[in-house]
Amino acid sequence: MEKVRDEIDKRVLIVNRSLPNNATWARDHRANGTHNQGDMFMGSHRDSRTRFRIFALMFSIALIAAACGSDAAETGGGESSGGGGGDGAGLDIDAILAADLDNCEEAPTGDPIRVGMAMDFSDVVGFVDIPGSQLNPFVAEKINCTGGINGQPVEVRVAEVGDDAALAAQDLLDWGAHFLVGPPFADFALPILQTTDGEVPMFVAASTEPTLADAEINSFLVTFDDFGMAEAAAQWAWDEGITRAIVFTEGEGIPYTGVNPDAFMAKFTELGGEVVSVQTYVWAADTDFSAQVNEIAGLSENNEIVFSAALAFQVTALRGQLEGQGLDGLTYIGTDAMDATGIQVEDNNEGIAHTPHTSISAGDRIDTLLADYEAANGEALESRSFMALYVDSMFLGIQGILDCGCTDGPGIGEAVANISGFQGLSGEITYAGTNGIPNKDVPINRIVDGEDVLVSTISG
Amino acid sequence: MTELLQNLIDGLGRGSIYALLALGVAVIFGVMHLLNFAHGELITVSGYAAMWALTSGVSWWLAVPLIIVVSIATSLVIERVAFSRVRGASDFTLLLTSFGVHFVVQAIFLLYVSASVKNFPRPGWVSNTYSIGSLKVEWFDTVVILVTLITLAAVTYLLQRTMFGLSLRAAAADFDTARLMGVNSNNVIRGAFALSGLLAGIAGVFWLMRAGQTQPSAGIDPMLKGVLAALIGGLGSLRGAVLGGFVLGLAEVVLRSQLPDSIASLTEGVVFALIALLFIFRPGGLITVAHAERV
Repeated sequence: MEKVRDEIDKRVLIVNRSLPNNATWARDHRANGTHNQGDMFMGSHRDSRTRFRIFALMFSIALIAAACGSDAAETGGGESSGGGGGDGAGLDIDAILAADLDNCEEAPTGDPIRVGMAMDFSDVVGFVDIPGSQLNPFVAEKINCTGGINGQPVEVRVAEVGDDAALAAQDLLDWGAHFLVGPPFADFALPILQTTDGEVPMFVAASTEPTLADAEINSFLVTFDDFGMAEAAAQWAWDEGITRAIVFTEGEGIPYTGVNPDAFMAKFTELGGEVVSVQTYVWAADTDFSAQVNEIAGLSENNEIVFSAALAFQVTALRGQLEGQGLDGLTYIGTDAMDATGIQVEDNNEGIAHTPHTSISAGDRIDTLLADYEAANGEALESRSFMALYVDSMFLGIQGILDCGCTDGPGIGEAVANISGFQGLSGEITYAGTNGIPNKDVPINRIVDGEDVLVSTISG
Repeated sequence: MTELLQNLIDGLGRGSIYALLALGVAVIFGVMHLLNFAHGELITVSGYAAMWALTSGVSWWLAVPLIIVVSIATSLVIERVAFSRVRGASDFTLLLTSFGVHFVVQAIFLLYVSASVKNFPRPGWVSNTYSIGSLKVEWFDTVVILVTLITLAAVTYLLQRTMFGLSLRAAAADFDTARLMGVNSNNVIRGAFALSGLLAGIAGVFWLMRAGQTQPSAGIDPMLKGVLAALIGGLGSLRGAVLGGFVLGLAEVVLRSQLPDSIASLTEGVVFALIALLFIFRPGGLITVAHAERV
């Protein structure tokens, strides 16, 4: 395993984004003439005055858009009431979550604790960063409703990274953020880390990317990394008595889509299993696996585990095609991507296993918080199990402030790096003795009778 | 041998969808010299319509015409709102406009619907197979190939035997002369966009049946496949577009299965390398059209 880790660490990791995330539409000029004059293909003289007006209009719109873009959503401050005790000095998570926003205590008046959220709202990770940036201000309201943190209100500012993550980070630093919650992928998280330069801690809330964690520069994951996730999947498969594996990868060493399969194969073979087939595919795109299925049909014994970091709709499409070839005895397990993309609501999902970040059960802390949010805002958040990571990011930063009794970034970071046994919403988190990747148990969930249930927990 | 035959059938199935997409791209290019990078957005919009319908309990039998109608309507709306404003502009302006439409549609769904993947049920028969000797053929591939052949026959009839088809072909050959001969440019262009929308709609039905999901960027992949296939076949050639679609589909499936494991993950790259090679020897694509203008 160490060999694989070392190899990955050596690589320069670049996560290509498939899309720019700010839509722009440059309509550079109109053709002259009206539509029914019949000469729209011929007339091309431009009225310079019209062009100037259009240019002026577009310039004005651009200025307005830029002005709006620099406005970051800000919440927090105010409200009232006291907390205290519990998981760390002055941080009582249960009391915070139980706060009734209609019946708050006296508003905290101390210097605010400022939480900066540099979030990616694009279609690449907006599915978690958008709801995460909606939930944390709500939790800040609850904190302030209980009197804040030792009389200090918590303020949350959200800055969308847009096309310039460094600028968003700088905006938050200028505002005075004590710590940041960052986007999950390296293409935006790395520029933010370059901007913070270790002066302010950052929690990469929804990321499992091991290279983003580095306690030396105060960068922390909040959950297990790709290795922890994939190794847990291999362990579960082995524990289930499965000795043969079929693995889908985008290529050795490719962040997430290749690293997870690499780690799975290393662990599975280390346990004594055999990887009988390694197939390639295009992550987040392929839904026709005909070529791979034809090859698998020739070598499968219809008893293998099928592992991939594919999205839910890809796994169910693959499963359908494999079953169409008569391979109905296979077991499927995937990563957190399955949870992120709705394996719970897919057709043909019965029996599929995955590694969510939080195995939510009715009435537990995160379930209650999400229900509270829905009741207060009239609509549910789009993501569930990832949300605990965003809330934990905020709680961990606050815990760092409480532990060090300071508000300077390096001091907070040092305190966070020594956190041990923190009982977060996503599980127990320990940074002490790590390089910023917490030791956490990995839940294995499986669709059983149509319900997504916890079937095993693999120790971190 | 069995695996190769199996892959050929699968490749033809995949290529059929690409052919329909490419034909839609080629129709617009023929008339407007517009390489329409917004073509995939017809599938994005119809995908969301399908998602709303299917998750509301509507059956696929009703979803199929809905997808096609939404695709045609979207194509016409895009023409009216965006492309009609730049008809006299340069090819480059048209190209940028199509990119603009692509990004705007994507942003609308991102901002006003969701950044998340939206799932919907696939038809139950999509993965079912039947046997021919040792081959297990997917019903889906069979239906796709048949529908594509029927669609191509109908389009051929439309283009060869109707006044609209004659106008379209004349406009594709020489738009200005066609207009001087009395061809109504508005009707031809709107007709071309409607036809392009119809073809994208039919392709979209199969694309969405296989995908079982949609998202704001859902149109990128079909757009790329359609444009690539049109380029392979020869930009501006309708027959070339169909040929390009089949070639691309077959190349993807056969290469993925035949490449050594060590480079199998580079299948897409190898496909692109082969396309580049093709353009070295046949810059105009498989079927060269004299008036086609490369962009």
